[in-house]
Amino acid sequence: MHDSILTYARSRYLWIALALTLASLIAYIAYDPGGPPNGGTWLGYTLGTIGAALIVWLMLFGMRKRSYRNSPGTLRGWLSAHIYLGTSLILIVLLHSGFQFGWNIHTLAFVLMLVVIFSGFFGVYVYLRYPNLMTRNRDSATRVAMLDEVAEIDQNALALADGIDPKIHAVVLRSIQNTKLGGGVWTQLRARDGSDIALDSLHGALAERDKRTEMKTTEMPTMFAMVDFLAGRATDKQGEAMRSLIDLISRKKGLATKVARDMQYQAMMEIWLYIHVPLSFALLAALTAHIVSSFFYW
Amino acid sequence: MRWLIRRVLKKGKGAVSYEEDVHYGDVLSIGRAADQAIFLPDLRVALNHARVTQLSSGQYKIESLILAGIRVNDAITYATTAGPGSVVAIGNTRLTLMAAPQDYDAAVEVSTLDKGEQKAETAQRAKPTRLAQTGLSKRKPSWIAFAAILVFGLALPMIGHFAPGFGEMLRHVPLVPSTQSWNPGTLDSAHHFFAGDCTKCHQTAFLTVRDKACLACHANTAAHADPAKFNLPQLGNAQCRSCHQDHEGLRGLIRTDQRLCSDCHADLKTRTKGASTFADVGDFGTNHPEFKVSLPQWDANGKFAPLRTTWAADLKENSGLKFNHEKHLKPGGLNTPNGHRTLTCATCHVPDAGGAKMRPVNFEAMCHDCHKLGFDTLAPDREVPHGKVAAVAYTLNEYYAKVALEGGYQDARSPDIVQQRRRPGSPPLSQQQQQEALAWARQRASEATDSLFTGKACSTCHKVTAPRTADDTWHVAPVRVSGVWYADAKFTHAKHTTVKCEDCHGGAPKSTQSSDVLIPGIANCRTCHGGAKAKDKVATTCIACHDYHQSATLKMGTL
Repeated sequence: MHDSILTYARSRYLWIALALTLASLIAYIAYDPGGPPNGGTWLGYTLGTIGAALIVWLMLFGMRKRSYRNSPGTLRGWLSAHIYLGTSLILIVLLHSGFQFGWNIHTLAFVLMLVVIFSGFFGVYVYLRYPNLMTRNRDSATRVAMLDEVAEIDQNALALADGIDPKIHAVVLRSIQNTKLGGGVWTQLRARDGSDIALDSLHGALAERDKRTEMKTTEMPTMFAMVDFLAGRATDKQGEAMRSLIDLISRKKGLATKVARDMQYQAMMEIWLYIHVPLSFALLAALTAHIVSSFFYW
Repeated sequence: MRWLIRRVLKKGKGAVSYEEDVHYGDVLSIGRAADQAIFLPDLRVALNHARVTQLSSGQYKIESLILAGIRVNDAITYATTAGPGSVVAIGNTRLTLMAAPQDYDAAVEVSTLDKGEQKAETAQRAKPTRLAQTGLSKRKPSWIAFAAILVFGLALPMIGHFAPGFGEMLRHVPLVPSTQSWNPGTLDSAHHFFAGDCTKCHQTAFLTVRDKACLACHANTAAHADPAKFNLPQLGNAQCRSCHQDHEGLRGLIRTDQRLCSDCHADLKTRTKGASTFADVGDFGTNHPEFKVSLPQWDANGKFAPLRTTWAADLKENSGLKFNHEKHLKPGGLNTPNGHRTLTCATCHVPDAGGAKMRPVNFEAMCHDCHKLGFDTLAPDREVPHGKVAAVAYTLNEYYAKVALEGGYQDARSPDIVQQRRRPGSPPLSQQQQQEALAWARQRASEATDSLFTGKACSTCHKVTAPRTADDTWHVAPVRVSGVWYADAKFTHAKHTTVKCEDCHGGAPKSTQSSDVLIPGIANCRTCHGGAKAKDKVATTCIACHDYHQSATLKMGTL
């Protein structure tokens, strides 16, 4: 079976995390603090120290990831441990708090920690699922190769269209202009190839122009619609050229969709880090404030 | 209209030359068709691609003639108005609109992009294909979040601690954290009134709360244990905060857990090497010795010195009183001088103001209605006082001396002088007559005393001893019920009003002897109360009944 980050080294870190969690749980149940369970008891301090050490260690993963020199353990091992020990933090910290929450810096640290951990869960999900999807989507091409092919198709399509009719040439020209691959965060995440967005921005101007032209542009909001339009307007003489143009533009649409999806997969695999990393630093600050304030007012 | 069309020709190595051309007409047409004013042989250009007209203001109007629109100043448009300096990009050609030079009405510069420039152009127009190119960043928000939380979560409150005025201000500014944001939990309700001021308890930063801070208010709180008898600090950490941790909710300051006591009160004898004689206690339900009850007892000097002894079902006490509960609690009631009455427990046993204990049974209020202390049938309203033997003798002597001297005492056994009623104007008694009358009075008083002490009055309830010598008086044995039977337990009747008296004092209605101990032992309590972990009973820890080594006399502040 394929050895994923979750099953790395026969899930060694899963068992370590489970053992840690179980030990904490048993200690929590067995220990009678003589009052409400809280972070200020013997067990509370112990669990708190373990939790804080874990958080600092988990954050060191960011440094380990960048270190290509000889470091202890493989990066896969570190990631596997990062995931499992990070998950075990939820229970360890809950037990440390004795399930006491309030509107204070301590609970803020806990909430930040939960957001970091759950964003990490999302990361695990996309790391396990998306590389496969990505490979399947690319179909052994690279993104650069696909983009080059798109550019080549554009050139060929223009040449073909020019031989058919100036108006069809203009339509192809517009479709080229509107096919914008990539864009803002939202565009990348939603796998839009940009033509719709370009359409949206030009919608007002288009409506104005539609009054003066006989073309019913509202009936062809997508490239496929345009192709239909092309086919509908084609004369018999130009039939052969039209079929070739339709083939070309269909291929281009397929390619553009693939590229957009490729970007989407990549963006999904990265987006969670923009929450995971900054909030982990926020957590580090909140943790510092939590520890210092606890001992400041001991 | 004269248009200046200036073509830029690139000659390699950066050298540039210009070729100027004149176009006459109102419209400057641009396209791939041969009839266009500006002819662009590029597939990306339509035959009639666009047109430029000059407006009166010196501005240019640029219109696209095809569906694809035209790129003016890097924005795609169908029609727009632009001033000199604007750039129109078509395919790999760039048109720059210019202010009209002398002799011309309008001017445009046409340049063709070379391969390098085209590539740069494409790269510039390309949209981001990775999140990292979109302006999203990890480093910047990380720093901002890190710094903001440190400043607002730690630094500001800390400054507020050292500068109390500033701290006070912080507390009143909404949404700005003060030291209150460090509060890990609700304070005990008793401490709420100073909850806004952390420094009341946390006087010095990074030092635990000191006893000094507690004693600022708690100097007069009863001390835990007399250090001479039981040295708490010897047991280890004996600061206030060792046990009394606040921020644990409204009722969290006082430890009530079983372990507080059971940790030490197990195997005490061995651990103290015989110094402690206390029995081991672990759990009220399963490991608690039988109660020690205080029974009334007097020492050799007659001083009340209660006897502490282990409760037992057949235990007898000696309160000095004779009392038959069964007779008084007769279900059918009793005939009394004030009519028929049915007595209940509450007739005599009335709780004190606090509801914890019962008020002492009082003769005047509770017994006297029936138990009159009259001594003479000829004067049924006269009674001797209760409680003092000497006063009984005085009262009787004085009464009979008065009767003897006044005369008119209608008793056939008494001398004539006492029986004769003296009328106004009668001659005074002779000395001999007086002596005879007073001798009778002494005799009568003595008889009445004997009758009271031995007859129906005193000895009904009391143990009475006759005078041993002529000068001696009658002796009434001291009466004292224990009052507080369990001196070391905090029992309160008020909390047990949900049960009937007989539920605990079941022997009372059938008790004929006052020596019966009608106070229940531990088994009775255990019918409802169990230990800390009791499932089907009231979970009861040590603190429910006992204080933590509390001293009866010492105060916290004077230890």
